[in-house]
Amino acid sequence: MSLLNDLFAKPLDPGYEEAAARRRAAGERPTSRRTWRSPALALGLVALGLLLTMAILQVRNTASVVSSERQGLIEQIHNEDDRVSRLQDDVSALEAEIGELESNLLQNSTAGQQMREEVETLQATTGAIAVTGPGVVVTVDNAAEQSAEDGTDRVLDLDLRQVVNGLWSVGAEAVAINGQRITSLTAIRSAQDVIQINYRPMSAPYEVSAIGDPRSLARDFGDSSGGTWLREVASRSGIYYDIDSEESLTLPAGNTPLTIAIPGEGS
Amino acid sequence: MIPIAGLVIGILAGFVFDVSVPLELQPYLPIAIVAALDAVFGGIRAVIEGIFNDKVFVVSFIANVLIAAFIVFLGDQLGVGSQLSTAVIVVLGIRIFTNVATIRRHIFHA
Repeated sequence: MSLLNDLFAKPLDPGYEEAAARRRAAGERPTSRRTWRSPALALGLVALGLLLTMAILQVRNTASVVSSERQGLIEQIHNEDDRVSRLQDDVSALEAEIGELESNLLQNSTAGQQMREEVETLQATTGAIAVTGPGVVVTVDNAAEQSAEDGTDRVLDLDLRQVVNGLWSVGAEAVAINGQRITSLTAIRSAQDVIQINYRPMSAPYEVSAIGDPRSLARDFGDSSGGTWLREVASRSGIYYDIDSEESLTLPAGNTPLTIAIPGEGS
Repeated sequence: MIPIAGLVIGILAGFVFDVSVPLELQPYLPIAIVAALDAVFGGIRAVIEGIFNDKVFVVSFIANVLIAAFIVFLGDQLGVGSQLSTAVIVVLGIRIFTNVATIRRHIFHA
């Protein structure tokens, strides 16, 4: 502790004492007169003031640059969000227009009307338009208390795939998870512990809605591959699941853009 | 009065000329300021006690600033920059407080 004691006892630079002692020994006054007007002291204070101002200005500038950068980023995000919703509105307006034009064209003849019904059935099957009907909702959720280090008590993408396959196998006609329609182009996969459906991140609880005969769906699902899988996973890792019948479900249209594939056999 | 005028001139000069510190020297600025404060308060106390010396003041001012900055620089190179900054600030802070307390006693006799 002697270092700290030294620090407290002799805070003044020892050089001052020594210089004064030397001058005394030489028979002079310990210090020159009018030390308050010493140019060295004044210069030192000029330097101190300069340093202080520089540092303060620096900190201020940095802070304002950072906050304006953040403001810019926030604005950019808002602008892009607005743009996306505008474009989505455009898309749905155009789709509605296409549907109207199609029905107008096909309405005129009996053959046309038949064709229109056929088109709608096909669109419903492929998930290009929204569908409504009775069905079941299978709710799957993570275990109430998550303790496993390796995340085995969470719902995996594999579990959802098994549920969807099980529902298809017992006669589901349309399936959606948390409002994402399962189409022929849907991927159910996990990326960094987050399950993505149609490349959109989803979070628990997962509601798998399926349209079909509610009674047979609910009855047969338990014996299907999906039901067996869920039972096994639930008993092993505490994952929660539940099956409810619903009078009326509406599943939204899926996103099924074809850019490369051209309908038809070609020529 | 002259030292206070010097301080004001320094602050004004900083605002007028708007000197910007090079990026590499920015981390050392606060430490340099604390070191300069220590030298200045030491000088003021020496003046009051009648043992002020120009040479000692100038040398201690420059040496304080350079050594404080150098210690922090060394710490940065060794990966303990923040710890060494703390050490420098503790030591200089104690000195500043003790010197200012002495100055206060001389001026107010309290």
